[in-house]
Amino acid sequence: MSRRKKSTARGRKPARRRRKSKAWRWPRLLLLGAGLLTGLFVPWLVWLDHLVTREFEGRKWDLPSRVFARPLSLYEGLELTAEALQRELRVAGYRRMANAAQPGTYDAQGSAFRIHRRAFRFDDGAQDALQVRLRLESGQVAGLATMDADAPAAVVRLDPAEIASIYPLHDEDRTLVALADVPELLVMGLQAVEDRQFKHHHGVDVRGIARALIANLRAGRAVQGGSTLTQQLVKNYYLSDARTISRKVNEGFMALLLELHYGKPEILEAYLNEIYLGQQGRYGIHGFGRASEFYFGQPLQRLQPHQVALLVGLVRGASLYNPRRNPERALQRRNRVLDIFAETGLLSPSAAERWKGKPLDVIATPGTGRSLYPAFVDLVRRQLRRNYDEADLRSEGLRIFTTLAPHEQAAAEAAVSRGMRELARNGLSAELQAAMVLADVSSGEVLAMVGGRDPARAGFNRALDARRQVGSVIKPLIYLLALEHDRDYSLLTPLEDEPVALRQPDGSIWSPGNYDRRSHGQVSLLEALMQSYNQATVRLGLKLGVTHLVSRLRQLGVESTVAPVPATLLGAVELTPLEVAQIYQSLAAGGYTVPLRAVTAVQTAGGETLKRYPLRMLAQERRDAVAVLNYALTQVVEGGTARDLTTLLGRAERVAGKTGTTNDRRDSWFVGYTRNRVAVTWVGLDDNRPAGVTGSNAAMRLWAGLFRALPAQDVGLDMPEGAYWLWVDPQLSALSDPSCPGAVQLPFVAGTEPESVSPCRARLGREEKKSIWRKWFDRD
Amino acid sequence: MTAIRIVAPGLVLMLLAACAGRAPAPVEEREVEARVRTPAREGSAGVQVYSLQNPAVVELTEDARRAEREGDYEQAAVLLERALRIRPRDPQLLQHMAEVQLQKRDYEQALSFAIRSYDIGPRVGEICARNWRTIGVARENLDDSAGAREAEQRAGQCMNTRPPGL
Repeated sequence: MSRRKKSTARGRKPARRRRKSKAWRWPRLLLLGAGLLTGLFVPWLVWLDHLVTREFEGRKWDLPSRVFARPLSLYEGLELTAEALQRELRVAGYRRMANAAQPGTYDAQGSAFRIHRRAFRFDDGAQDALQVRLRLESGQVAGLATMDADAPAAVVRLDPAEIASIYPLHDEDRTLVALADVPELLVMGLQAVEDRQFKHHHGVDVRGIARALIANLRAGRAVQGGSTLTQQLVKNYYLSDARTISRKVNEGFMALLLELHYGKPEILEAYLNEIYLGQQGRYGIHGFGRASEFYFGQPLQRLQPHQVALLVGLVRGASLYNPRRNPERALQRRNRVLDIFAETGLLSPSAAERWKGKPLDVIATPGTGRSLYPAFVDLVRRQLRRNYDEADLRSEGLRIFTTLAPHEQAAAEAAVSRGMRELARNGLSAELQAAMVLADVSSGEVLAMVGGRDPARAGFNRALDARRQVGSVIKPLIYLLALEHDRDYSLLTPLEDEPVALRQPDGSIWSPGNYDRRSHGQVSLLEALMQSYNQATVRLGLKLGVTHLVSRLRQLGVESTVAPVPATLLGAVELTPLEVAQIYQSLAAGGYTVPLRAVTAVQTAGGETLKRYPLRMLAQERRDAVAVLNYALTQVVEGGTARDLTTLLGRAERVAGKTGTTNDRRDSWFVGYTRNRVAVTWVGLDDNRPAGVTGSNAAMRLWAGLFRALPAQDVGLDMPEGAYWLWVDPQLSALSDPSCPGAVQLPFVAGTEPESVSPCRARLGREEKKSIWRKWFDRD
Repeated sequence: MTAIRIVAPGLVLMLLAACAGRAPAPVEEREVEARVRTPAREGSAGVQVYSLQNPAVVELTEDARRAEREGDYEQAAVLLERALRIRPRDPQLLQHMAEVQLQKRDYEQALSFAIRSYDIGPRVGEICARNWRTIGVARENLDDSAGAREAEQRAGQCMNTRPPGL
């Protein structure tokens, strides 16, 4: 811009010389004109041209990767509540509409649903739009039927929600859209309102300017602008907001040059991604894609006509018509735009009237825009980074299929938000932070992830990055080592819960106490785990060898380094919530390690599948010991340190779990699982100060809040080969019988069962023998 | 001598051919059919323990079979994975996946799925035999010949528990 000022200054000098001689005036002026033309105007044009092309080429739109949630598959018997289904549909951008007439709509009458799914290209093939009917009966899908007789109906997969885009770095504040993905109504409506001659003019619309001029003269002030879309784009690109003649002239020429170089579609696409539509803090909201997220929390493709109209209306003045600050004015403007849509035939007059009756439908708090689920998308990016360049992720328009389950994610977020409020009411710090990971046990698919107390906020992702001591959460692995150990240990094996003192490498003495500051003498292995006795656990761990624990952790998928020191036995090991989830996935699945994954497939922008991340599992050697341990962990909930969980859940559900608390109550952990879901929760302070939290007073409450919202499902306790159930008398550590007093059924790894027989069972055995003899006699 | 001269190359050729015959053959569908499914079916003589199948699972399984017949094992695996999301602990489904993994020559995965199917399955009858035959073929290809022999034996035992009279 300084350059333009210079050229006008130079232009004045020759004018003074002109006065010297009148005779030479005209030829001189001509010459001067020609000189100016070649000497100044042409270089000026060349300079403008350079500016225009450089800017435009430099902003060639990189396409962000599009991230999809897991698709909801509907089938009879699927456990699903109406609330969950509606939430899934809402997140996937389905609108409620009578009879679900169009793809992307649904209708609900009581428990009967009609859903019109959209066509979609999955990694395993394309799917057509399809109308389906179903009922929800006692929490299950029933009566599923398609309206198309030819379509198979046993399982209907809906198109997935688009949950995020991964953007080019240099355009951090944008959500770029390809022209082909922009709704027709927006493309046409924008031209109807802003530039009806767009298709025909060459960058400047002379008639438009004239019309605007007349209108402004009549009104006595500037009421109408004659700028074409091209001019507006140029203005957005390069020029200040100043209303000067020179700016207008530059704008006009640059618009002409832009049209000379580029086609209408390219210019329109640039416009759609460039135009200023609002302000969020110090960031401008540029482009319709970003604005759609900012105002409606939805991708552009999913907007309804009245929302499209609002965005088109904002072009004229994003702050004047700011729907959050000036809702009245915004509504007027939007309705004016809807009228124009009707005048130009884009909407029928009756439809326009109907849409005018709608509220603005702007979301109260602008989404961070980048993604609805920052913590989960963070995990997606990290998993993809192993195979893709960060630059490709941000520019190639990849289609990324993930495992995020919208309903479960919403339940996790609600559990964290609600849980944290509850903890504050219970007198705990309001600065407490939290993390949550929910995964499917058998598939290892991460269904939900929360990275902090405010789930929508991007930033430090504690689920992935908070390395915290795990405390007693590590103990089950020591007991697993015992159960695997050469058939020496069973749940009934007596352990010594007595003081223990160890000389550390630095010469100090380490003597861990129990949580209740007492030693409990001889306790069974099961009891020691249920009550999380430190002294019994340390003694057991030392006998088995800390190095074994370290290598077992590695086998179970822990990548962090773990020091083979005695304190490790009590969880002086720093792990992330995701790592803890991985360890417990193996246990929950009965000894099958399935690497936790957030991505299932990646496609090119054109829909060609580039890579799949299939289900892979590794069978652990000692699944018999895992099965026995799983039972022990159900007892932790039944009568151990997590015994309050049943009350918190409010239902009888057989859950396995383990609490964890670290020194001075800095960390609160809870890991728990059912047959098909495993979840880890952590609560603590970011700066690792004592927080007054224990496993059961904080993290377990959040966990319960999540599982209350999920269908109840008992943990699986089937015994694999090599382990089986026996009736025993735990007091006597002897084989017993179901009819004997005090007998319980416990699982054993073959070869570790008690050798002795309880007196009651011995007596029964003798009676049975007798009865066999009696039968013989009866027969005769 | 002349006879030997004439016969010798022929003998060498025949020996070579025999060697070629013993080289590990590619595991294709017909081999899974020949080495896993058919013997398991024949040996079981009616001992079949089928879980009641969910129609959604049946539909996806049928699609997976079609993909298998067309030689698209990748697609078959994707479809079975979808079915497993619905019924993650269905022994039939897990065994089917194991066989598809065998066809994909991912022997480690074939092994894991077959073991899981056995762990939570009936451990008797046809599916048991398919479990162990799959484990055998997988171990053989993973150079665990002792393990493969053991699996062969276990496949035979699947029928021993057959209740008399059947």
